Amino acid sequence: MWEWIVQVLSAAVGTAAFALLFSVPPSCYLRCGVIGGLGWLCWLSLDRLGLGTVVSIFDATALVVFCSRYSAVRRRCPVTLFLIPGIFPLVPGAGIYWTAYYVVTDQVALAAQKGFSTLKAAVAIVLGILLVFELPQGLFRTLAEGREK
Amino acid sequence: MERDDRLALDAAALAGEILLESGAEIFRVEDTIYRIAAAYGAEEAEAFVLSSGIFLTSEGEGRKTFARVKHIPLVGARLDRVSAVNQLSREIEQGLHTPEAAMERLEAIRTMPRLPAWLQVLASGVGSGCFCILFGGDWADALAAAAVGLLLYLYLLFVVKGRLSKIATNITGGALVTLAAVLLHRVGLGHHLDMMIIGSIIPLVPGVAFTNGIRDIADEDYIAGSVRLLDVLLVTFCIAFGVGAVMAARHALTGL
Repeated sequence: MWEWIVQVLSAAVGTAAFALLFSVPPSCYLRCGVIGGLGWLCWLSLDRLGLGTVVSIFDATALVVFCSRYSAVRRRCPVTLFLIPGIFPLVPGAGIYWTAYYVVTDQVALAAQKGFSTLKAAVAIVLGILLVFELPQGLFRTLAEGREK
Repeated sequence: MERDDRLALDAAALAGEILLESGAEIFRVEDTIYRIAAAYGAEEAEAFVLSSGIFLTSEGEGRKTFARVKHIPLVGARLDRVSAVNQLSREIEQGLHTPEAAMERLEAIRTMPRLPAWLQVLASGVGSGCFCILFGGDWADALAAAAVGLLLYLYLLFVVKGRLSKIATNITGGALVTLAAVLLHRVGLGHHLDMMIIGSIIPLVPGVAFTNGIRDIADEDYIAGSVRLLDVLLVTFCIAFGVGAVMAARHALTGL
């Protein structure tokens, strides 16, 4: 339990820190952090359930994009503000590192394996983004209006 | 008397320029240009936007011909400017600003200051530490990663300052991070070298180009999207090269 709290909080604070680096307006830091934390919580839960990296990353990305689009309509500002920081925890930084590490230490089979799984994770993110951007804008408007009433 | 849309189109072009250099998607840039032009009655405007340039022309019955080609290098992620231009374009559509006033507002948006450097350095450190924990590091690793993340941004803001090419920046950035992490690990701060390095290279990862590239391709802006994804690949290889070079040296010296 404690581990989960630490993980989700780190994701949220980390996302907010990157929002600052990308000069997101300060009024959006909190929302960015929440989106990043939710995305990581989704990834963590699905991964622990044993659904595999690709499915977990795909679903977590889809959730992040959905929340970002919703927030963009609610706050009347570009979706990029939430999407770019929110997606950061899911970017396969570790995969890039291990691939480079195995390449320089001459462990070619491991390098190929890591490289391929990094690529799979990247493709899962791409598909997650594509899918949720196909949803009509009207859906998010309706959702946001429903909340404002 | 021919109708002259120059001022309106200047405003539309400047809005597009700020959006593009601050990290907006192509779709948003084109959409904003059309909206502003149409709000001032210049419906004839045609815009073509690439990841590094804007072509804007306007001609028609009883109008002066207008043409502008502008090369626009990416300045860096300034999402506050994207947000401000977006807000301004809404207000222009509502008829709240004359073209002259809009130009003034756009110039003001363009000179909007970034957050102070110390805050960015701090954010880089906090971000690195947090991401280190996400990738499985413990508290000591996170502290070490935060220190390396601070150092990385100090390097980027005060040593590089845009003087190095993108390739050189990312190779040296990756190498610096790895070197600092190796040294910290050597003196006993941090337990897992791999987690420390992974956490602290994250500020270099090209997240803006990656996300925008995918979205451009989804919007069928294939040229801009491919260029951005190519940029992502290049930057990623450079980071990996920088990390790899230092790790190879360490491997050769210590056999680890």
